[in-house]
Amino acid sequence: MNLKETLYKVVNSKTVQGILTANIFAFLVIGIQSSLMPKDPGILVFSEFVIIPMLMGIITAWFWKDTRIRGKQITGHSVVNCLIAISMSFFFLGEGFICLLIVSPLIFSFIIAGAFIGRAMFKKRNQKLNISIVSLLLGVFIVDSLSDHYHENMVSDEILIHATPAEVWQHVVAFDPIYQKENYWLFKIGMPSPMATTVSEHKLGANRKCIFSNGYIFDEKIVKFDINKNLIFDIVDQPKDPEIMGHIDIKRGEFILKDNGNGTTTLVGNSWYNLHVFPTWYYDLWAESITRNVHFRVMKHIKLLSER
Amino acid sequence: MFSFVVKKAGFLKDIPLVAIIFDSLMRFWMFVTKPELLDWIDELEEDMAQMPETTIGIHKYGGTQFNYKGKEFAHVHSNGLLDILLNKELKQSLIFEGKIKDHHVFKNSGWISFQLHNKQDVGYGCYLLNKAYDRAKQQ
Repeated sequence: MNLKETLYKVVNSKTVQGILTANIFAFLVIGIQSSLMPKDPGILVFSEFVIIPMLMGIITAWFWKDTRIRGKQITGHSVVNCLIAISMSFFFLGEGFICLLIVSPLIFSFIIAGAFIGRAMFKKRNQKLNISIVSLLLGVFIVDSLSDHYHENMVSDEILIHATPAEVWQHVVAFDPIYQKENYWLFKIGMPSPMATTVSEHKLGANRKCIFSNGYIFDEKIVKFDINKNLIFDIVDQPKDPEIMGHIDIKRGEFILKDNGNGTTTLVGNSWYNLHVFPTWYYDLWAESITRNVHFRVMKHIKLLSER
Repeated sequence: MFSFVVKKAGFLKDIPLVAIIFDSLMRFWMFVTKPELLDWIDELEEDMAQMPETTIGIHKYGGTQFNYKGKEFAHVHSNGLLDILLNKELKQSLIFEGKIKDHHVFKNSGWISFQLHNKQDVGYGCYLLNKAYDRAKQQ
C-alpha cells in the first residue's frame, strides 16, 4: 500500500473523521466567540471547558455510530481526541504546559462523557431528542458566553513564628533569596515560585518587587506601612506568563503581624485575586492551592530568617 | 477511592451530569492504569446486548446501564463495580457463596454489588446479569 492509499484510508476512517471534525468545530466556535467578544480577552468561560468538550465527544459519537466500536475503543479514541485538542491549545492558543495540565482533567472527563452520551443518544435514533440536547448545549454556551463573568477571592494563611513582631517585620517588607527546596508539586514541575523580595525604601508608597524563580517580577506599591503590625501592597504590574496569560490577576497582598505577648508572633498572609477562568468551582481550587503554597513558601522563609 | 467519593460527595450525585463526569474521569483513569478492565466491561455489555429486549444506556449515576424493556436491572460503573437487582432470597444465597456484597449504597434492598477484579470474574458477572435478566423477564 503506497502513501497515497494509506492517507486516503486514514482520512476516510470514521475514527479520524470524528476526531478531526470535533477539533475543527471546537476551534471554530472558540475563534468565533473570541472575535465576537473582544472586550473580555483572557476570560475563558465554563462553556469552553464543559460544553465544547462535551459537544466534541457527541460529534465523535455521531461519526462512530455505525461502526462496531467497543467502550474501550471509544475511551481510547476520546483520549486521542483530548490530546489533539490540548496540543492545539498549546500551539495555536499559546496556553502554557502547566495551564493545560490543570485544565486536562476537565477536558478528558467531558470529552469521554460526551462520547458515551452521544453513543446512547444515537443508539436511540430519536432525532428530535438528539437535536434538543445539542440545541440545549449550544443555548447554554451562547447564554454563558454573553453573561458577565467576575470572580474575586481572598486566600488567608497564618504561621506561628518564635520571634517578636519587630524581628519578623525586618523580613516582611523585603527578604533575602529563598534557597529552600520546592516542596509543592506544581513548583517542582516548573510553575514559578517566589524567590526574593526587594523594596526601594522602607516607607509608605515605596516600590516593592517580588521576584519569581524564572526571573518574573511582580511590581508592587506599598499602600499601608504600619511598622511591626501591618503591610499592604497593591500589585501594579505582573508578567504576561503563558501559564497565567491573564487567567488570574493578583490584586493585593497583606501581612499582618499579631503580637502574642510571649515573644512569638502570628504572621498572617492574605492575597486577593481575580479569576478569569470559569467554572470557578474547579479553577478556584487550583488558584487557592497555588496561592496558599506561595504564601507558605514566603512565610516559612520569613519564619526561618526571623528565628535565626 | 470510589467508596470514599461516594461516601463524602455522594450528595452531589443528583446534580445533573456530576456522577457521569466522575465516572468518565474514572474510566479515563482505568484506561491508563488498568485497560483490561474496560475489556471486561465490554464483554459484559456484549453478552447482555444479545439478550432479547435488552437495551444498554448510560446510568444516571455514571456507568453503563442494562435495561429489560426499558427498565433497569443492572449497571456497571467504570471502575468495574457491577450493581445488579436481584430479589432478597437470591441475594442471601449468593452472599452465602461469598462472592458478592450488599449494594454499596442501598444495603437493605435486592441490589447487590460485585467487583470485577480479574478476567475470571467476567464469567461470574455474566452469570449474575443473566439471573437479574431472568428475574426482570419474569416480572
